[in-house]
Amino acid sequence: MSSIATERQQAAAPPAAAEHPPRRRLSRKHREWIAAGLFLLPDGLGLSVFVILPMFFSIVLSFFQVSGFGSYEWIGLGNYERMFNDPYFWSSMWVTAKYVVIMVPVLFVVSLGLGILMKQKLPGMAVYRTALFMPYMLSLVVAGLLWKFMFDEQTGVANKIVGAFGISPQSWLGDPSLALYSVILVTVWYMMGYYMIIFLAGLNEIPKEYYEAAKIDGASPWTSFRKITWPLLRPTSFFVLIMTTVAAITGTFDLVYSLTAGGPANGTAVAMFYIYQQAFVFGEYGYASALGTFLVLIMVVLSWVIFKLTKGGRFDDGE
Amino acid sequence: MESDTVTTGMTPRTRFGKRGGLTIVGIVLSLVSLFPILWAISSSFKTRATVTDGKLLPNDFTWENFRYVFTEVPFGRWLLNSFIMAAVITVAALFFHSMAAYALARLKFPGRDSIFAVIFSTLLITAPVVLIPLFIIVRQLGMLDSYAGLIIPLIFNAFGIFLLRQFYLGIPKELEEAAIVDGCGYWRVYWNIILPLSRPILSALAVFFFLANWNQFAWPLVSTSSTDLTVTQVGISSFTTQYGANWNYILAAAVIAVIPMLTLFLIFQRQMVESIKTSGLK
Amino acid sequence: MLRHGKGAVAPSRRRILGGAAGLAAAGATGPLVSGCGGPAKAEGGTLKFWHFYDSASSDPAMRGQAKWFDDVIRDWNATHDVKVEPFFVPGTSYQGSKMVTAFASGTGPDIFLLSPGDFLRYQNGGILADLTPHMDRAAVADYGTSLTSRVVEGKVYALPMEVEPLAIFYNVRNWEKAGLSEADIPTTWDGLLDAGDKLRAKGGGAGLVFETDPGYYQNFTWYCWMWQGGGDVLDKDGNVTFDSKAARQGLSLWQDAVRHGIAPRTKPAAGDQLSAFKAGQAGMWQSGIWMVNTFKVGAPELEYGVFKLPTPPGGRYSTAVGGWSFCASTQSSNPDAAAEFCGWALGRMNKKSVDRTVSWCTGVKSDVSPRASALKAATAKGGYDSWAMKKFKNEIFPGGRPEPRYPPVVYKAVSDAIQATMLGGKGVASEADRAAQTIEAYMKSYQGASLI
Repeated sequence: MSSIATERQQAAAPPAAAEHPPRRRLSRKHREWIAAGLFLLPDGLGLSVFVILPMFFSIVLSFFQVSGFGSYEWIGLGNYERMFNDPYFWSSMWVTAKYVVIMVPVLFVVSLGLGILMKQKLPGMAVYRTALFMPYMLSLVVAGLLWKFMFDEQTGVANKIVGAFGISPQSWLGDPSLALYSVILVTVWYMMGYYMIIFLAGLNEIPKEYYEAAKIDGASPWTSFRKITWPLLRPTSFFVLIMTTVAAITGTFDLVYSLTAGGPANGTAVAMFYIYQQAFVFGEYGYASALGTFLVLIMVVLSWVIFKLTKGGRFDDGE
Repeated sequence: MESDTVTTGMTPRTRFGKRGGLTIVGIVLSLVSLFPILWAISSSFKTRATVTDGKLLPNDFTWENFRYVFTEVPFGRWLLNSFIMAAVITVAALFFHSMAAYALARLKFPGRDSIFAVIFSTLLITAPVVLIPLFIIVRQLGMLDSYAGLIIPLIFNAFGIFLLRQFYLGIPKELEEAAIVDGCGYWRVYWNIILPLSRPILSALAVFFFLANWNQFAWPLVSTSSTDLTVTQVGISSFTTQYGANWNYILAAAVIAVIPMLTLFLIFQRQMVESIKTSGLK
Repeated sequence: MLRHGKGAVAPSRRRILGGAAGLAAAGATGPLVSGCGGPAKAEGGTLKFWHFYDSASSDPAMRGQAKWFDDVIRDWNATHDVKVEPFFVPGTSYQGSKMVTAFASGTGPDIFLLSPGDFLRYQNGGILADLTPHMDRAAVADYGTSLTSRVVEGKVYALPMEVEPLAIFYNVRNWEKAGLSEADIPTTWDGLLDAGDKLRAKGGGAGLVFETDPGYYQNFTWYCWMWQGGGDVLDKDGNVTFDSKAARQGLSLWQDAVRHGIAPRTKPAAGDQLSAFKAGQAGMWQSGIWMVNTFKVGAPELEYGVFKLPTPPGGRYSTAVGGWSFCASTQSSNPDAAAEFCGWALGRMNKKSVDRTVSWCTGVKSDVSPRASALKAATAKGGYDSWAMKKFKNEIFPGGRPEPRYPPVVYKAVSDAIQATMLGGKGVASEADRAAQTIEAYMKSYQGASLI
């Protein structure tokens, strides 16, 4: 449709290149390589030292039995063997799967909806935007605490609201059949403003000329959305989808910890929580590393599939 | 600059109805989103005995929690530490990440996709699992219990690189090509064209980074021990003890800690939601 | 050494200080390992003492407690060449990532406070220094049974500074609202549930609060209900006896309380007992002696009562007794001085050593003293004159049993049984059986110090 969201032009040879003699072109190519190297240098170095190296350490540790007190014992695949026979881990993976499958689409739709709503020219939009983003300004611990109050069985607002509809009081965080959904609700509340802003940034990249053209053609809002917004928003959607999935798997642990401590009856014990418990409550650091490595492997496969399906998030459909 | 997708072909009346409806939706959603926060503000004026009573307004309004937070604990110091940490990380991260993202999105070099894949994969790393190795590395570098140790490891995060890359993929190619033909170096393309164009996304990222690091807890807790380096969230956690918790103080501190964030958001939000002005380029 | 691997465990055990050791073995990080060493070394031999009492706390009681630590350390520093320095870690983070990271990387504290639930993990990890040589022989006897759970093969590895029995606290306001009087104080489980039911119906708050969050603390508060029926996780010979009538009965008590709405599924006031009592949100709460001081300082006007845990038919009274202890790390740059500090502070027969326990347990805190001599001295000084402390000392504490020191797998099996029955509504028989099987499988390969 245009050069805005796709990179069709990039695939084609740069128009300028043909005008230069071959020797010049070679040097320019090399200059580009060197430039790229320099641009990547600070982050490349930092990520290597502070992220990739620790991850490498952690993978190595997953082959050790660690006492938690500086004693390391090589046990080969022992931790992985243990993992496959650990019912707690698999039940925590199942909880994680449920959490991801419900939370990610809900968060995606809600934040996209909010993004589109915030794009409208309505009075007081700046205020709504701020209001919707505000939950994210709290720390997860405070957010968790607030919702513990809201979900309180006796005094909580949640029961007052459902009470108005004649529903008897619930234990939102203490009932295993409800707790995970309550945690999801809090997560969506907390994150929606954040992804709303990201969607808004993506929406703002779409040239308004397209909408004007569609308007002249008499397209309905739904058609405009389907034919313009959705396809052109793909790089953003891809980003949000990946990030929310990753966050749901690796980043929810603080919230779970402050809301339910993994209870009731392991109902909210997501994999990350179990890994944290192994590492920092039981001191089983080698085992926790194995679980963490396994989780990363799963996510690598998952994102590889998403990348393949979306052509690396580049959407170079011309290539 | 904002596009209105819903008004075509409607009479003024239905148009107003539609807009009115959307406005109401906006108000309702905002209230739902804000409710827990408004309630936290109201509760921060309650006493320890009534902070959990579930009432919307305090029965026994008190300033005591705020007095406590400001006079009994070095709250100013905590805020200052958080501010230094979040500000330095934000500035450094925006700069480094936009550079890396520019290279990944706009330059062609061998192994580009593999490098991106490696950078992306660092997003998948589970923080608690790398905490101990990271601690050991930072200790070996002699940065434990210092601002450097608090700040430097947190600068490097693939989230920003990834988001900026996605954004830069969408910037029209023509501009850059023209600049390169003109003999501009890559640095000047990046500095004079790419950076100004990414103002909205950089504003959004600035807010995101600042916020995420303002609320940091785990790394500051583990990597610092001197009280001069205590950040807000670690400080607040000392209001909870083995034997009970002063929720009223925690709420008061949390309410104050939100104010700088809110200010920042209000300053940047205009730019965050601005469209990049590319219309003339096509 | 604690082992969970199946046969994959190499027979020789490598022990290398410093967290990068695993990598050294992998041949990747030679330069990283060199220069490893505790921070104590780097800081000229000062010993770090980690505790969780905040000298800048909101709670005046806690400030007093922090001062107690400062005083002990000042006394030591005045008379010893090796200096000790206090280091505060916020309460809720104390046992979490900070301590674990520090120990795993060889930068752990020299002296620290340890809870009974963690004892065996640290002991099996070889981290606890033997304190026996630094104690007076008579002091070991003076501690008596308070030391039992801190002794391995006749050696003392931790010195308790306090003894904290559990009881039921009740809120007089709710109690009266529910039409109950002092004569209604329950002595049986049925009576307890009845009172709870009345409180729930008419008292204006939760009837009876048991711990709801899974964790070591929840297990600690539950064991006593099992013990009362004569049950146990392991018997004296170390056989697994969890699948017993007594254990099932204990699980049923909590399950029934929740099922009938007497016990809430989440704690009122987000777990803060003080504000819950002040606001009348709870009628009864199973909790420990530490609340006496918390109430005294935080809510002096609050009317509350305490009674010892009621018993089941044919059961025998028992309660769980917790409390933290001083430990010295073998990883310290000077483990001998660290152990000497613990022995000097709490393990001698001289008056100063005894007085420290007295002022901790009855001065700045409200606890039963772990030492007979200190208990006597504190009683003489009037430390147990208040009605609540008297009750704890004379009625609640006798019959108490120390919090068990089960390792993580055993803890987790019991925790799961409690959670699944109490909040998940699962059958008590099948959950007790499942837990027993898990523990049994684990015990077959367990090679550490005795669990009992």
